[in-house]
Amino acid sequence: MARILHHSRRAFVKYIILTLLALLYLVPLYALTLAAFRPGRDLLRYGITLKTLIPTDLHISTFKGLYTIRDGIYITWFGNSLLLMLLQTSLALFLSSFVAYGLSLYHFKGRKVVTTLVIFLMLVPIQILILPLYKLMITVKLIDTFWGVFLPMIVSPFAIFFFKQYIDGVPRDLIDAGRVDGLNEYAIFFRIVVPIMPPAFSAMAIFMSMQSWNNFLWPLIVLRTGEKFTLPIGLNTLLTPYGNNYDLLIIGALAATLPIIIVFIFFQRYFIAGLTSGGVKG
Amino acid sequence: MKRILLFLVLITCMIGMVFAAGSKEESSSATEGTEITFWTFQDLHMQFYVDMAELWNEQNPDRKIDFKGEVLPYEDMHTKLLVSLQAGKGAPDLVDIEIAKYPNFLKGDIQLIPLNDVIDPVRDNFVTARLDIYSKDGKNYGLPFHVGASVIYYNMDILNAAGVDPYAIKTWDDYMKAGKIVKEKTGKPMTTIEVTEHWSFWPLIAQQGSDFLDADGNVILDNATNVKTLQYLKDLLNSGVAIATPGGFHHAEEYYGFMNDGGAASVWMPMWYMNRFTDYMPDLAGKILILPMPRWTSDGARSAGMGGTGTSVTNQARDIELTKDFLMFAKGSEEGNLRIWEDLGFDPPRWDVWDNPRMNAPNKFTDYYLNDDIFGMLLDIKDEINSVNIKEKLPAVIDRLKSTVMIQALQQQNKSPAEALKEAADLAR
Amino acid sequence: MTRKQTLGSAKIAPYVFILPFIASFLIFYLYPIISTVIMGFQQVYPGQVEFIGLENYRKLDNPEFKVALKNSFRYTVYTIALLIPIPLLLSVWLNSGNRAINTVYRSVLYIPSLVSIVVAGTIMRLLFASSDKSFINTLAIAVGVEPRQWLLGGSHQAMILLLILALWRWVGVNIIYFLSGLQAIPDELYEAADIDGASPSQKLWRITIPLLKNTTIFVTTISIFGGFAMFEESFILWAGKPSPNNVGLTIVGHLYNKGFQEGEMGMASAIGIVLLIIVFSLSISFLKLFGFFEAEGRR
Repeated sequence: MARILHHSRRAFVKYIILTLLALLYLVPLYALTLAAFRPGRDLLRYGITLKTLIPTDLHISTFKGLYTIRDGIYITWFGNSLLLMLLQTSLALFLSSFVAYGLSLYHFKGRKVVTTLVIFLMLVPIQILILPLYKLMITVKLIDTFWGVFLPMIVSPFAIFFFKQYIDGVPRDLIDAGRVDGLNEYAIFFRIVVPIMPPAFSAMAIFMSMQSWNNFLWPLIVLRTGEKFTLPIGLNTLLTPYGNNYDLLIIGALAATLPIIIVFIFFQRYFIAGLTSGGVKG
Repeated sequence: MKRILLFLVLITCMIGMVFAAGSKEESSSATEGTEITFWTFQDLHMQFYVDMAELWNEQNPDRKIDFKGEVLPYEDMHTKLLVSLQAGKGAPDLVDIEIAKYPNFLKGDIQLIPLNDVIDPVRDNFVTARLDIYSKDGKNYGLPFHVGASVIYYNMDILNAAGVDPYAIKTWDDYMKAGKIVKEKTGKPMTTIEVTEHWSFWPLIAQQGSDFLDADGNVILDNATNVKTLQYLKDLLNSGVAIATPGGFHHAEEYYGFMNDGGAASVWMPMWYMNRFTDYMPDLAGKILILPMPRWTSDGARSAGMGGTGTSVTNQARDIELTKDFLMFAKGSEEGNLRIWEDLGFDPPRWDVWDNPRMNAPNKFTDYYLNDDIFGMLLDIKDEINSVNIKEKLPAVIDRLKSTVMIQALQQQNKSPAEALKEAADLAR
Repeated sequence: MTRKQTLGSAKIAPYVFILPFIASFLIFYLYPIISTVIMGFQQVYPGQVEFIGLENYRKLDNPEFKVALKNSFRYTVYTIALLIPIPLLLSVWLNSGNRAINTVYRSVLYIPSLVSIVVAGTIMRLLFASSDKSFINTLAIAVGVEPRQWLLGGSHQAMILLLILALWRWVGVNIIYFLSGLQAIPDELYEAADIDGASPSQKLWRITIPLLKNTTIFVTTISIFGGFAMFEESFILWAGKPSPNNVGLTIVGHLYNKGFQEGEMGMASAIGIVLLIIVFSLSISFLKLFGFFEAEGRR
């Protein structure tokens, strides 16, 4: 009995701490949400104040700014981010799973080297490559284009590794059955392997969409003109003391964040699968 | 699976909406004329150019332009411009380059277009020192906005409450004494000092004929005058007469809010700061008096020409001749120079407009400030406006001032002014 | 033999499958790395390229680069010191008890990682704004601490801000890594320990932590390169301006300033090479130390 009591007291303390922590973690987003209903200038002057955190004096009209300020440039940025996200994610899914299939299924010369290379490249942060990549983009005239933003990202070592793990687990009988039916190597991939991969695809799709949506450094360098900016790059330009764009900064930040959180709440499972099942095993 | 499908449908709808909105916009904003793209880091400059573009289109119906400007953050804009010029792609036709960054654009093969042919006919009407700033090997690459005379802005509400007469403040010693009275009587600081930029420091040394670089471009940042002056700023802070600027510099929103609420009794900044008061500190209307800066010695200079923005045409301009002509019209013509005063409150670089009656007419600046004759005050100190040297090492020196010197010597005070200046100077050499 | 048969044959097909990777490796990794090495020996201005030997590397011997190295190093060490034990402990908590409730906590802690760094940095700036009325300064005054200009403070203050930001964004992600590691530990081990009368802390030290070794290695490795590659956080916190006293200057920040703000591409390349060497040697020797490669080979 004492032990159970002891146990439940522990659990009580545990949940108190967890609750406090969770509330603390929500403060910034709560503050942003309320801030978005108020004029931006006061926020920049005095910061988020205790008063800001009390939900009074809210004006829904600030959101009109999303499509009125600077002729609705925000909508353009939003569209750019969406378009880039879709292009980058779908191409990366296709190409990375294609490569992963080759690495998983065949025993060919150089397979080990390539597999090791994939693992090594996972350890190369993009930040190191920005300078030469940027020069490359100049040479091939892809500076200030969407191609320049997503081309270097579409064959992702991480995604290859993830898909390879997944395909490793596909029963070989299934693939041999395809051979018996007279399918060629590519048909086996498209008709047999791809149809059983949606769980892996959705996990990776969510993971990569997130990366693309929030990608900052590389688009910052590649993109030059205002109509081509993505959301993070556009919002960054509003962080200046020389302009009058604070209203857009705050509501824009909220409008860039909320959709993702909503998607997360609906598709949690896939978010978490994308993070874990590829890399870590116990 | 169903949920994913639903999600994809939703996404597709959203994209559809976005593109629908986008295409509608394009069709409505189509105008005739040659497109001229423009970047600046200053919202107020943008408004000026937009107005000048309208005027140009009225006066040149056969050479209409479609002016498309963009305001970017200061560092961001200069970074983007530098890389775009190196890339040979993505740069605008016309661009504002701030003086501290200008030398970066004069390295290697220069990617800006010389303006000599459009300047030459009226060259004699310019304060030529302001053209030289944006030049290399006799070629002028940028047009200035202003002379940038440094002045001091007093909040008369606070000075009156303390019983201090600003006209009696003749020297920086007087200023210190007056500051102590203000502090004692009102509890408010006399001024604020920038700790992440250099505008509190540069005019004071330029007043005394010193600078960051000498005329040949050598670093003299750590000379005796500069050390003594930085020490003076430190004394202002330590005696409570001054405080470190909220937000770090005089263009921070925090500072605007602080000053607008009557936070400090004065600030020294160049003339071009006038429009920051009118635009960002509306509550101080009718309270601010502009005066020449205190002197260091009884016959010392009362001002210094500070800062500036050179507008340049890039070699990526669609129509170089048209862009040059428009730039000259906007910043080099008599009308343009008058408007620089009327719209922006800058002291225009063409001296031949200084006695134009329009310089004395009421406008939003004369309404805001207590002065009867702002430009008369400026004419009075015209010969005391010392100029500064803009050479290749300037960006490096200024970056160091912003990142280390002012913070170390003034805010944290973990290095003496002499040490902080010496270290930065060595790094830049 | 027709062409189609050749391409479709089981001999050639594997190479077709890996072709996208090979192409992308050559274009987007190998070529850039080689060209960085070359540019590291050059002074690169528009239209003027000059070979200057080791001059760029010699110029790295300056206080700024040292500050950048020091900041990146400190940041990496601190993030590892915080972002391993805290998520580990939390994940142990979240692994027992009511599942539905745990999911809620896990989600709440995870959500910040979905927020773009631009947005996260902006909120941080606003919470830590320098006016006396700002959220953090109000709290500071309430507990009797002087209000501060947080972003203009010394290097400790700056590091604290960066670490708070890192904690906010990454605790949830690491919790998920550790949770997935925990779920692979067989329950029988704990049951056996219970029979032996082990206390919760004994179970943590004797079973949980040793069996989470691989997860910990993985999380540490990503923290090493994440830490050394850090740039965006400080770029946003100080709104793209040089941070006061270079408190937020990191190696990548220095690279960015040199290459993109001052147009010194050669110097920036040299910095990139140094960074590449640091990250590679650290993470590979770390993985070697813990026998990660052998484990890979055996599988």
